[in-house]
Amino acid sequence: MDEINYTLAGSWVAASLRSASPLMLVLLGETLTQRVGIVNLGVEGQMLAGACFGFGAAAVFHDPVLGLGVGALAGLVLSLLHGVLCIQLRVNQIASGLCVMMLGTGITSYVGRVFVGAEVSGLAPLAGQFASAQSFWQPLLTQLTWIAPLAVVLTLVAGVLLFRTRTGLHWRTVGESSTVAAALGLRPRLVQWQGLLTGGLLSGLAGAVLSIDYTQTWAQNMTKGLGLIAVGLVIVARWNPFLVLPVALLFGLADTSVLRLQAAAVNTSSYLLAAAPYVFCLGILVVTHLRADRDAHMPAGLKAVFNDR
Amino acid sequence: MLRDYVHRLLRPGLLVILFIGVILLFFILIGKPPLQMFWSMLTYSMGDVFSLSETLAKTTPILFCALAVIVPARLGLISVGGEGQLYVGALTGTWAALQFPDAGLWILPVMLFAGAAGGAFWGGITGVLKAWAGVHETISTLLLNYVGILLVSHLVYGPWKDTANLGWPATRSFPVNAILPKFHATQIHLGLLIAMILAIVLHVLLNHSRWGLSLKILQRNPAVAALSGLNPIRQTILVMLVGGMLAGLGGISEVSAIQGRLQPTISSGYGLAGFLVAWLSAQQPMRALLIAFLFGALLAAADSLQMFAHVPAASAVVLQGLIFLTALIINQLPSQWRIPFWTK
Repeated sequence: MDEINYTLAGSWVAASLRSASPLMLVLLGETLTQRVGIVNLGVEGQMLAGACFGFGAAAVFHDPVLGLGVGALAGLVLSLLHGVLCIQLRVNQIASGLCVMMLGTGITSYVGRVFVGAEVSGLAPLAGQFASAQSFWQPLLTQLTWIAPLAVVLTLVAGVLLFRTRTGLHWRTVGESSTVAAALGLRPRLVQWQGLLTGGLLSGLAGAVLSIDYTQTWAQNMTKGLGLIAVGLVIVARWNPFLVLPVALLFGLADTSVLRLQAAAVNTSSYLLAAAPYVFCLGILVVTHLRADRDAHMPAGLKAVFNDR
Repeated sequence: MLRDYVHRLLRPGLLVILFIGVILLFFILIGKPPLQMFWSMLTYSMGDVFSLSETLAKTTPILFCALAVIVPARLGLISVGGEGQLYVGALTGTWAALQFPDAGLWILPVMLFAGAAGGAFWGGITGVLKAWAGVHETISTLLLNYVGILLVSHLVYGPWKDTANLGWPATRSFPVNAILPKFHATQIHLGLLIAMILAIVLHVLLNHSRWGLSLKILQRNPAVAALSGLNPIRQTILVMLVGGMLAGLGGISEVSAIQGRLQPTISSGYGLAGFLVAWLSAQQPMRALLIAFLFGALLAAADSLQMFAHVPAASAVVLQGLIFLTALIINQLPSQWRIPFWTK
């Protein structure tokens, strides 16, 4: 009996990890981007670009890993556009992000028409055969691909990079004040480009993970605001890569719970259940804000963007 | 003096030429003959009475959504919530219209009021979240868009579905008296007139009233605003309520006049187009009136091109993105570049 419970717990954790992986990656990307003082609403469009072009590449070349790479690059290209607009031309960051989002949505709907109904071979599970034992680890090894461990490791690496290396110190300095950073001899625009492009790669990868590893299909607007949710959740994760994992997992857990509620034939409309993530996100934003500790963690350079009146 | 007037005419003129350039470039990119396509766009949007009526029918919700962005923007709030507010306004307005199947003509104002109230409620959520909890309005409006659309889907696929539709997700048809009057046999309806009047009213209110001035002070200089006893919290909620109300009116007038019943898809990107119109108009209602017409033409032409020239529907979104991109870049160019031949 205990063994079955362990297996159930394991499969719950596996499902949460799996559904949280895209969010974890895009949340990590946006966290790093905001750490250098840039808000990027365009991650929604970048995720779509990653999902669309990554899926296309994976389907055409029958290679999921290549698809993930192409997806990351697609995200990178769109974040380049955001950078040209808001770092080089000093366009309002919110407007620039919305523009990237619009272009990402439009271009992927346009190009993605040919990928609708295409098939990809997903990634192999960590261990194919584990018939030996019903244990906590069994579902983790059979249901997860190497994406989830990669996402977890990336958050840890990013955390160490940000808080324990010279590069991370530079990033945080620029995020607090590019004027001070410039006075210290740093090149703020260069550092901002680094943070933004890293975020672009991660958001594109997040999209590709969604379409290649998780749903294994492409559909128009398939990210359904996950990128926007990530922009909101950065505040909840306090701009800290180490908190990205728990926040994304909490969200993944809520997401899978909703699916399981539905599977358990609780009589609720699927449309209302589909609205749950957005309401949930707004709810935790309110709680986080009301606790009034937002400004204590927010990179000072961002305040100009968020309070840009 | 003269130079000022030429300046004021020249800049929009150059912008229009530039946008035409963007449209031509887009057709070259997708491998269609650009001049021929552009000519088709013109004929499909303004070529005859039918096309013009389609264009004006699309202008109406776009104008409502643009005004819904302009009012909060006067306080410095970037609201992208037109779409969601439009859906919720359509929802509450539909509720009112279907409550009284045998109503007289009095149902029209009641229905419009209900739609306005629903939109205002949806916008108000963002206002309250911003004012009391500091949640950024762009993020909350974008998230609430999804929720508003899903609410409508929930109702028309579920409790409000008319079983006589044989599985087609839609409510019962509106009673005759709850359908906004149309101009002759066209698609142009009373909503356009209301939107135009509201644009003029807002022009006066925002540019020539104490309220408009207090919004400006609150946006430009919070310290002075505090000294003059202005209340930023109250004004934040107020502008979001007014904005939501406008988009809500757009939603219920669209459903009542054009579709005649509530369906899962009400808007073909009116919220987004309205946002762009507001941005391009530099938050001026009267300019928005003209630009909304151009975007109405763009969307009407996109519909026809999809049917007759197999240009995918997504093209409209790409085109709007490109126009936004161009506008953002132009806005940041040094001023002497903007009109190179008109500097001292």
